[in-house]
Order: sequence, then C-alpha cells, then structure tokens
Amino acid sequence: MRKFFSNRRLVILVLILIACFGLMAGSVSMRNRRDTPPLIQQFGNDIVGFVDRIVALPVNAVQGGFSSVGQLMNTYSENRELKQQVTDLAQTKVRDQTLAKENKELKQELKLNKSLTDYNTITASVMMRTPSSWQKQLVINKGQSNGIKKNMPVMSGSGLIGRISEVNKTNSKVELLSNTGESANRFAVVIDGSNGRNVNGIITDYNASTDELVMGQVSSKAKLKKGTKVMTSGMGGVTPKGLYVGRVTRVGKDDYGLAQKVYIKPAADLNDVNIVTVAEPA
Amino acid sequence: MYRLSRLRYVFPLGLFIALFLDGALSNVWSKLFFSYPYSMMSELVLLWLVLSYYFEENIEIPLIPFAALAGIVFDVYFTGILGLDIFLFPLIVELTKILSRYFSQSFLTIIMIFFIDILAFITLTYWAYSLVGITHMNVGDFLIYTLAPTLALNLVYFVVLYWPIQSIYTWALKTKKS
Repeated sequence: MRKFFSNRRLVILVLILIACFGLMAGSVSMRNRRDTPPLIQQFGNDIVGFVDRIVALPVNAVQGGFSSVGQLMNTYSENRELKQQVTDLAQTKVRDQTLAKENKELKQELKLNKSLTDYNTITASVMMRTPSSWQKQLVINKGQSNGIKKNMPVMSGSGLIGRISEVNKTNSKVELLSNTGESANRFAVVIDGSNGRNVNGIITDYNASTDELVMGQVSSKAKLKKGTKVMTSGMGGVTPKGLYVGRVTRVGKDDYGLAQKVYIKPAADLNDVNIVTVAEPA
Repeated sequence: MYRLSRLRYVFPLGLFIALFLDGALSNVWSKLFFSYPYSMMSELVLLWLVLSYYFEENIEIPLIPFAALAGIVFDVYFTGILGLDIFLFPLIVELTKILSRYFSQSFLTIIMIFFIDILAFITLTYWAYSLVGITHMNVGDFLIYTLAPTLALNLVYFVVLYWPIQSIYTWALKTKKS
C-alpha cells in the first residue's frame, strides 16, 4: 500500500482530478452561456451521431415492430372510441381553420405581422437517451442545418416535453422537463384562473416521485380548479404562446406559506418519446 | 499479439456497439428504466470492458486507451459535459485489474468485481455531478432510487450476457490459432 501511493502517482492523480473538474466546470458554464458548443465538439458530435444511426435504427425498428403487435391487441375497442372522436374533430378542425383565417385577416388589418402564437414546426426523431439518472436528455436527428436553435421548445404527441439544450450541425440534445439541474428548464406558463383572471408563472421544479411539474412562487390569489389546462405564456425567450403543458392536479402553499405552489401533470409521457416536434418562432 | 488476432476487429466493434446500445436501449425501454421514481443506468460498455479483461487470455488488448476513447465519445455525445467519463472508464478498468489480483477467476468472483465496479462508477459519477451542480439529489434518494435499481439492472445484464460474450471471445481466439 505504501508503494501504491508513491509521489509520482499522487501527483498524477491530483493532476487528473484537476483536469477532470476543470473540464466539467468549463463545459457546464460554456453550455449555459454559448449558443452552440465549440466547433471541435460539434464536429465530434456529428461524426458520432452518424455512427449512432447505424446502431439506433435497427433497435428502433425492432421496438416499432413489437409495439405495433402490442397495439394490434386493443385496436378494436380503440377504433370504436376513436370513430366518435373523429366526427367531432372534423368540426373543430374546420372551425379552427376559419378562426385562423379570420385571425390572420384581423392581424393584417391591425398591421400586426407576427404575434406570440405564430410558430413553425420541425419534426425530428429521437436517436437515443442519455443513460443517466441525473441528465434526462434525448438526442434528436436534426440540428443547426435544419434551423434548430438553442432553447427552442420541444413537443411530443400531446404536449411540451422540454427544450433544446445543445445544437450541433446534424443533431441536437433535448433537455426534458423532468431534468432538475441548476440550468434546468424555466418555462413561462399561464393558467386560466376562475373569474377570468390569468395566473402567470414559471415552472420551477419537477417532482420525480409523483411525476408532476411544480410552478412555484405564484403570488396571485386567483382560485385554480383541478384539471385546468396549463400552457406556455410566450413571455421571455423563444417559446411561442399556447403550447400545451398539462393539467393542474393540486394547489398547495410553499414552504413559508406566502405563495401558492401549483402542481401540474405533464400532458406528454416523458418516458415514451420517439418523434418530437420542435417549435420555431415565426 | 493484439494486432495479429481477430480481437483487433471484435473488441472495438463490440465496445462501440455496447456504447450505442446503452443510449438506444435507454430510449426504447425508458418506460422500464426510468419509471418514476426509479432510474436505472444501462452500463453495457463497462460490462464489455470488464469481461474483455477477463476473456482476453494471453492477448493484451490496450484496454485503457480504448476505455478513454469510449469515455470521450460518452462525454461529447451522450452527456455533453466533458471531462468525467474520459477518466472514469479507464479508472474502472484499472480497478478491475487491481481487484482481480486478489481473486481467482470464476463466474462468482467476476460478478462480484463487476458489482464493485458499477458501485464505484455510479457513486463517483454522482459525487462529481453533485459537486459541479448538475444534480441536487440527496444521498438517501440516490441510494434507493438510482444505485439499487442500477446495480440490479447491470447484474441482470451480466448474468444474461456472460456466456454469449465468453463464446464470442473463444471464437475470436480460436480462429487466431489456426
């Protein structure tokens, strides 16, 4: 044992520790400040991403096969229910189109070109997920060359799932809403309160044991009903207005009893993401 | 000897397939791996590295450089935070080498050493991440919700993949001799 920690080994160990933490701290702060990682890191990411496709594609294909067999089992009952919804949906869609058209005309009348609700979408597929308990992160197969920029909101299926945290040329990383680091998501959201008052706030935390988002420091006294829809408010940053986040499950007091704390059940299943939509402000 | 054997292709190929499978499986089985509040970290790449050390016989695979290379890829592409796994992967290989001096080579001792490797890897990752501020998970939650499920998952990997990987290595070594 005396020999094991000889002077030379000790010096090397200390140097490695310094290099390790220096690099980590550097890349964490770089990640928060810069829009894209350094060119060499982007280059590495693009090459590895290309190789990853070779492994990820067959795995995803196999999973797709299995899940379609699974879905076949309850097709009949699902089909019966969905048929009823389809007729309803057609009406809503037509109405939506009319309203969108009217909205556009009114905006032109007001000489209002772009408002917070306008956005384009980019569709991407998920290549892999970081095998880590602390970084809830996905890698998607679209990047800078497809118009993706840092901090854009990402949706999947029914609602918001996270934001773009790192952009490379041909792939990018998505930080999920369930991530709770220091640089985690701070989406500005709005809830329709009772008596027509809107409650504004930001998502401050995620409660892993109950799978709920927490909207802290709500000073508004408006009463919030359980099941009220929560959507992004479009304030601050690049997130457009009106992206569906989830529903209110309960309202509590914060630790000091001064402000309200609103718990939100995310609409999208954060653990079942294969295709994502990135919203790009128009 | 490594340069002449068939392991020259088999080992790096297996290493990178294991690495990318970690990512792909974490996404495909994320319902299972990350069911609230538990989270399991898939570490096939460590399994490959450790078993390679045991099955290489008299061929000395340059494990440390390859582990560092896998660590770079893991840092850049998987986590986006540089500097941790590039040192941790080689460290785990070194730890395996040191521990294996004290035990004879059998299934039970290898699984025990692999257990210690995973334990060290996860704990060091957690420690480093909480120092840098990537996570604020407290120690109790870490032990129950991350460490225990991760150990369970990786030991299942070990039991399932021990013999297949062994047969890959016997095949690769046999063709070399003929």
